[in-house]
Amino acid sequence: MNQRKITRRGLVQGSLMAAAAGGTATFFGPWQHNRVWAQGAKKPIKLGLTCDASGQYGNSGQDDALGIRLAVDEFNAKGGVLGRKIEWITADTETNPATGTRVAERFISQEQCGFLIGAVHSGVANAITQVASKYGTIYLNTNSSAPSEAGENCSRVKFVWDGNGTNFSKAAVQNAVEKIGKKWLLLTNDYVWGHTTSAATKAQVEKAGGQIIDNLLVPQNTRDFASYLLKVQQAKPDVVATAVGGDDIKALRQQVSDLKLEDKAAWINNQQDWPDVWGAPQTLFGVFGTTWYHKLPLPGVAEFVKRWQAAYPKSPIPVPGNVSYNGYMATRELLRAIERAGSTNNIAVIKQLEGHKMPAAERMQHFDAYIDPVTHQVQQTIYLARRNAKPSDNTDLFEIMSWTKPELALDDAAPGKCKLKAYDEVPSFEL
Amino acid sequence: MLNLLPHLVNGITLGLLFGLIALGFMLILGLMEQINLAHGSLFALGAYFAYAIATPWLPLPPDLVQAWAAVPLVWRFAAALLIAPVLVAPFGLVLERMMRRTYGRDPLYGLLLTFGAAMVLEELIRQVWGTRDYLLPVPREMSGGFIMLDLIWSTYRFWAAALAVLAMAGVWIIVECTRFGAMVKAGAHDSEIVQALGIDLARLRVWVFVLGTMLAAIAGVILAPLWGIRPHMGVDAVVPAFVIIVLGGVGSFWGAVTAGLLVGMVVGLSGAYASEWSLMSMYLLLILVVTFRARGLFGKKSVLEA
Repeated sequence: MNQRKITRRGLVQGSLMAAAAGGTATFFGPWQHNRVWAQGAKKPIKLGLTCDASGQYGNSGQDDALGIRLAVDEFNAKGGVLGRKIEWITADTETNPATGTRVAERFISQEQCGFLIGAVHSGVANAITQVASKYGTIYLNTNSSAPSEAGENCSRVKFVWDGNGTNFSKAAVQNAVEKIGKKWLLLTNDYVWGHTTSAATKAQVEKAGGQIIDNLLVPQNTRDFASYLLKVQQAKPDVVATAVGGDDIKALRQQVSDLKLEDKAAWINNQQDWPDVWGAPQTLFGVFGTTWYHKLPLPGVAEFVKRWQAAYPKSPIPVPGNVSYNGYMATRELLRAIERAGSTNNIAVIKQLEGHKMPAAERMQHFDAYIDPVTHQVQQTIYLARRNAKPSDNTDLFEIMSWTKPELALDDAAPGKCKLKAYDEVPSFEL
Repeated sequence: MLNLLPHLVNGITLGLLFGLIALGFMLILGLMEQINLAHGSLFALGAYFAYAIATPWLPLPPDLVQAWAAVPLVWRFAAALLIAPVLVAPFGLVLERMMRRTYGRDPLYGLLLTFGAAMVLEELIRQVWGTRDYLLPVPREMSGGFIMLDLIWSTYRFWAAALAVLAMAGVWIIVECTRFGAMVKAGAHDSEIVQALGIDLARLRVWVFVLGTMLAAIAGVILAPLWGIRPHMGVDAVVPAFVIIVLGGVGSFWGAVTAGLLVGMVVGLSGAYASEWSLMSMYLLLILVVTFRARGLFGKKSVLEA
């Protein structure tokens, strides 16, 4: 039909050319490890937003960015920080660690960003951390919640703002083993967050006298869960504990709901991010963890929601959820820390963040929170929720069942695993 | 064996769904020798149009929309299944028109064009429907579960598998039992002779492309209730479609069907017994087959061979 056929050699050549082009695209250097920044009293402070816009956590990444931008806008409206305007740039990290590395390199070495903010996928967060550590750039991991992020993968320059798998497991497991049953089956997303979260759940279950009867690993981007659901039925567990996120949990929820399997075993979803719920609330089931909800009956919550809605009247999700909230809180606290430090010197800002206490009223949570100086994780109120049977409006999807104090949900193992570099080993700079 | 049987049954249904996804891709690659990387985006468009028709989410006067919403869901779903592919067809027409300049040139031009088209279509979806997820409602008669082998099974999954069989039968009849099919196959075999016989090859290509586009859309409609609707759902379709076509042998109808079933079985069984390998298993199967038979299971003379 065509004069020219597709040849295997042609395809291979094309693939190699594409790979070569992709390979060179990763090379931005040479860059200098010890940066020299142009000094200027009113030079804007530039933030690099490392947010996914595509891939498994594309929706969550964009929701994260909205919270971050709101905090920036609020500071700029007050005149910025230290009299300097705050600017930001963003790029799609694609829910892909390699892309995260590339974007972080570019933001620091080419765009001269002094701070990096944003993550949902723990693999991406860890990749960005490696780059940030090399340059001494402060990195706020806003939403990735693998216990390893504040454990073996912690860093002096990284601060982790979300509750992690261990925090949520501690809040949920003990009670569930006692009241529901001892036979647990784990569904685990096959990457660092899934593995570390399920490991935390397993430890809590066994500590409470329960037993893990199987752990089914779910590769990322799994859309068809039929074989898993057959296996779950064959195993007949009392509780199914999932550490599955993003588009994968949406597909899983849809298929579980279709079969009405939510009634056959108790389901505990370690953490349920708001963007993963929005759009298919009818498939919400089981008990799940969160760090914030837009209808918490606490001072400041309604005002925050109004400000957020006024800033984003056309947002695909009409109200902020935990992901946007974490992005906002992380950015606000970073900018406050710069103000307290009176400088953008990275070490001075790190010292302002370490151990910083945040009153419950300011955090719009039930209990005071603090940044653990040993692990750099924000220890905060952990909420357990379920689907709201009597919603007050079409956004009122959660019924908050309990709120646990930070010290009761503490990840005890993290301090032993986290080894922070000494300050003098971190490259220091002033923007 | 009793434990294995449900997973074999599941593998067959999954295989039929994979086969359905690959059908349109197979037609365009097999008969036109064009790798259509926009296949996944056309699949997604089918799902979105079906959602617009079934829910209904239509840019029509409110009275008309209300009247349509009052129609039982089973009819709205059937209408979505029939109309959504027709609505997606013009996108295929435009894409084919753009691709004409790549005919007879290095295949990478066609690859790049359809890759770009895929990104444009995905962005178009984001602009029209936003980034949120949607659920295509399924009529009560087709949804829920039923008990077989002491397990709960998805009713819709079996309906979807049955619809996949119907679509495959339709394609087989068109390609093997009609004059149109004979002309298309002859054109693929020797375009010069076919043109010398007075057959308008350009028009044939248009029809093949439109048919492939509509099949992608049909697959999107059928899979939407199972896998959900989101802007980037096309990626979930185009990758397995490509694997299945290469595995089955480019241009072979039965190759695509067999490869779809094989991939379904391998993914289904590995999902049950070695779940961490469930997605990887299809690629391992591809490597295994291509290592020993480069043209795929049923490929005669592959366009991928020199």
